[in-house]
Amino acid sequence: MTITKGPGTEQAIRTWSGRSIPRKEDARLVKGQGSFVDDGGVQGQGFAWFVRSPHAHARIVSIDCAPALEMEGVYAVLTGEEARQQCETPFFAIAPPPGSLMAEWPLAVGKVRYQGDAVAVVLAESRETARDAAERVFVEYEPLPAVVDTVAAADPTTPLLYDDAGTNVVWRGVFDYGDVDWALENADHVVKIDRLHFHRFTSAPLECNGAVVDYDLGTGVVNVMSNYQMPMFASMVIGPTIGVPINKFNFVTKDIGGAFGIKIGFFAQIAALALLSKKAGRAVKWTEYRTEHMLTAGHGNERTFLDIEVPVMSDGTILGVKVRAFDDAGAYLHYEPLGAVIWSQVVPGCYKLKHVRVDYTEVVTNKCPTVPNRGYSRMQHLWMIERIIDIVAKELRLDPVDVRKTNYVQPEDYPYRTPNDCVYDSGDLPRSLDIALELAHAEEWRARQRELGTGSGRRIGIGIGSTLDSGTNNFGQSRIINPDLPFSGNGEAAIVKLDLFGEVNVNIGTTPQGQGHETTAAQVTADILGIAPDMVTVSTGFNQANNSYVGFSGTYASQFAVSGLGAVMGAAEKLRHQIVKLAAYALRAAEEEIDVSDGFARVRGDENRAIPFIGLANMVYANNAGLPAELLSEVDLNARYVYVPPFEVPDPVTKTGNLTLTYASQVHVCVVEVDEETGEVTLLEYAAVDDCGRRINPMIVEGQVHGATGLGIAAALYESLDYDASGQLQQPSFYEYHAATALDIPHVDCGSIESASPFTPNGAKGMGEGGGAPLHAVCSAIQDAVGGDGPVVADSHNHWARVHELLHRDPTASRGVAVTSREGPPRVAQS
Amino acid sequence: MLLEEVEYVRPTNLEDALAVLADVDGAAPLAGGQSLVNVLKNRVASVDLLVDISRLAELRTIKRTPGGGLDVGACVTYDELDRSPLVRESHFTLGEVAAHIEDQQIRNKGTIGGNCCLSDPTNNLPPILVALDAVMNLRSTSARRSVQAAEFFKGYFATALESGELLVSVTVPPMPARSGAGYASLLVAADAKAMARAAAWIQLGTGGLTITSARVALARVANVPVRDAGVEARLVGAEASDAAVRDACSVAAEGLRPIDDVHGSSHYRLEMARVMAHRAVMQAVDQATAGRNGSESARRGGRA
Repeated sequence: MTITKGPGTEQAIRTWSGRSIPRKEDARLVKGQGSFVDDGGVQGQGFAWFVRSPHAHARIVSIDCAPALEMEGVYAVLTGEEARQQCETPFFAIAPPPGSLMAEWPLAVGKVRYQGDAVAVVLAESRETARDAAERVFVEYEPLPAVVDTVAAADPTTPLLYDDAGTNVVWRGVFDYGDVDWALENADHVVKIDRLHFHRFTSAPLECNGAVVDYDLGTGVVNVMSNYQMPMFASMVIGPTIGVPINKFNFVTKDIGGAFGIKIGFFAQIAALALLSKKAGRAVKWTEYRTEHMLTAGHGNERTFLDIEVPVMSDGTILGVKVRAFDDAGAYLHYEPLGAVIWSQVVPGCYKLKHVRVDYTEVVTNKCPTVPNRGYSRMQHLWMIERIIDIVAKELRLDPVDVRKTNYVQPEDYPYRTPNDCVYDSGDLPRSLDIALELAHAEEWRARQRELGTGSGRRIGIGIGSTLDSGTNNFGQSRIINPDLPFSGNGEAAIVKLDLFGEVNVNIGTTPQGQGHETTAAQVTADILGIAPDMVTVSTGFNQANNSYVGFSGTYASQFAVSGLGAVMGAAEKLRHQIVKLAAYALRAAEEEIDVSDGFARVRGDENRAIPFIGLANMVYANNAGLPAELLSEVDLNARYVYVPPFEVPDPVTKTGNLTLTYASQVHVCVVEVDEETGEVTLLEYAAVDDCGRRINPMIVEGQVHGATGLGIAAALYESLDYDASGQLQQPSFYEYHAATALDIPHVDCGSIESASPFTPNGAKGMGEGGGAPLHAVCSAIQDAVGGDGPVVADSHNHWARVHELLHRDPTASRGVAVTSREGPPRVAQS
Repeated sequence: MLLEEVEYVRPTNLEDALAVLADVDGAAPLAGGQSLVNVLKNRVASVDLLVDISRLAELRTIKRTPGGGLDVGACVTYDELDRSPLVRESHFTLGEVAAHIEDQQIRNKGTIGGNCCLSDPTNNLPPILVALDAVMNLRSTSARRSVQAAEFFKGYFATALESGELLVSVTVPPMPARSGAGYASLLVAADAKAMARAAAWIQLGTGGLTITSARVALARVANVPVRDAGVEARLVGAEASDAAVRDACSVAAEGLRPIDDVHGSSHYRLEMARVMAHRAVMQAVDQATAGRNGSESARRGGRA
């Protein structure tokens, strides 16, 4: 492309953003030149292997490390009790009591609480020796009854995971907005759904967890080269426990092979590895293997919704919802109970529900700890809302498209204040739905469905999933869980620097895992500095030594386009300002006369008065004698900027406040064919319409839409993590857990609209998590295929046997739903 | 790799391989390694010496037998089966089954011999080989013997192979005129593990659509593929119509009790065994009536 030069080019050169330029990262990644955690290492390192419990719940009677230590090539073994003795305190608890009494240490102490719980860690000269040695650490267990049922876990008669807490309930809160009792009293119909269940699954990143941890005994610095995606959170959690201040950590990430939130979960392993490194006096390398990952790295939240009551008016207006929710945190509180508030970023979903009461209980069970998983906590709630919409439509014989359009937040309503004072920034849901329906040829398929009738053995189902991808958290929402927490707001840091020969470098506090940060950061920087993205070098990954971080740094929760690029843009503007100031001095012009373009600063209208970036850099770095002190005090060509989104602290008593800055929306429509004999579901058509405000690189956005779509389809149909009654994971490897492949995912027709966010520096909204739209849409389509008189699709996972059961359920058995209607003529909803 | 320490040897001819297998306790043949290596990594089984037979030329050929059957070397890969014109021409369904085993990388390495000798109940080839009435040719240093496929699979990870014996080839009988094969699976996902599976071979009479001979093998209802005598008896003499075949298959897997797991209950699997048997037989009928078993009708017959 050509960059227009000359006077008045300010507008013209700001054109790299919004273009689908090829990703800067891809050349190295497709050539196998990426650098991932397992590619790294340190001189003299040993290899770590965790000794893990085969039991879901057991008391540790004894551990005998001697046979392992006698093996040649074994450097050290660290047990849970020994690790605890070196720790100052358990990991920082987010929860108030009783959740805060559910203490977690780097390794299990006293008892194990899930299959795979780590009781010790072995260090040896090779991975193979470490693994062999781990089998020679003999642990005697006294098995205890396993707690696997989420709802039953809350019952006071159920065995306890943590005796000190006296309960399995981590946290309970009632989120009560509007007046749901009034709504239920005054609605024309009340739709009652017995139970909805959102299942456990994982995003199954291609690369498992890993770290090279080197506890430098000389300096006290703990070097952590890992694929951990939220490094400063890890250092804040680990530091106080193992007695290391923040400035003695050096977290580094490089290329990361997918994270999806799962890679927020392994701080305990990093802590154990740090203590092991300290004990052995050498660096420790740990690479997690797939079964270890499936068993222990973290699963997405499983949630059960009970006694759902939905007040509806005859015209299809849904007044609200009343529900009891039980969330299953698994055995340890790795990020929980933050999920217990994070769902409330999207209380009414995409709809104008006014009266909502959610009685929310989070419990511990003898299962793998849950960790944030793409769509974290909002997806579960949004899935329930979408199920409600379809079930209401079905039971009241209304068109699901009409019910959605009637209840959607309308384009003119933005900024829209939800019942709990969150502010939806922008969007156009009815138009998104229209585009998605058209892309999926919904009308033709509806006709085809009617033609097909009954008797063919096949059924067509058309499904809709409307969802929100809320991004850029207000961490103040954590105070709704625990008012004493010292967190609020959010932010990200970036440094944009003009280097010695005029090169432009960008360092950010993020940990990209495929989101193309190097490309989009270069695009926005290029626009501001008037150069091409090729001329911008963006460092790969996170490096604490760069000083480009704040407490919230990392890549998670759909926020890079806002917080990450907000920081980069702020830093680039600062640098540009310095360039202008320096050039004005060098070219003896007024600052207002300086243009910056094409790697030069120029005096507008005078071609002969220009200085290249290298000349400016030279003046500051290597040729500064005689420069005015005042100028040097303002110009160092090394601009650091922290973007802080505008937030207030939420009110923990009323549980209200603006919890998220942006709300990207996605509307998906899919068409399925269901085989009546087998229950097999085939996707015939799939359309996804994304609205994430202004897109910096539409191709990258579309890539993330594809990824989130694949993940959601896989979860809806193929991927589930289930425990048996004794707490044994039934899918501990890819033999049992079918991670979806390209063969399973249909062509996705992507559409988009851009409703710019009024609240962000660039009109963009965070996106990427996707809000679980495919789970909503696929369940909706299966529901449509099951038909109006059939049972409710009550589970988010629908493998063939489950669909078969829905199709063939005894007509006299419960359908899982009931409607009570008021006497008298229909009434119109009050606004 | 995280294997336990294991020795490795790569003999240059079959005789040497057989000798090592006979002489060394704890020796096991390594072909494509797509199952065995995973088993070893998971430490489900332990081996002291891996005898790599994957490059032995005499085990890597596909030959036409005089009657029009196939003789397939034990180390022929799934991909080679899939892409062999010889296989496709006479035994289309066998090629098609091989084409849908897991993914391309696995198909490049995995072998017919390995697929059979591991005898994992989810493996794709055993039921089709039973339905085609294939013969497994075994050798040791001192002897050769042949075992019918239906007798070869003995249980979960167990076969008729004795210590020191190696599966060297699989002989698949010819497909006579007006015969056809079919293969139907209910898969967890595309090219993934099967929950229910049936393979069928039928012979139609010279005139009309009467089934004169039938073999139906069910997988996933027991630890090994099971010839279903009840279904076969009902098929023979029946008209090759959808209704008659469905009726014959309604007794499939009678008396068997498939496993219960996260993908479906035993009851569901039993019902699916019947559905798959019906579909496999109807595919076989289509193939038989189309006149040649490498026809497009087989391709339309559904997912392998």
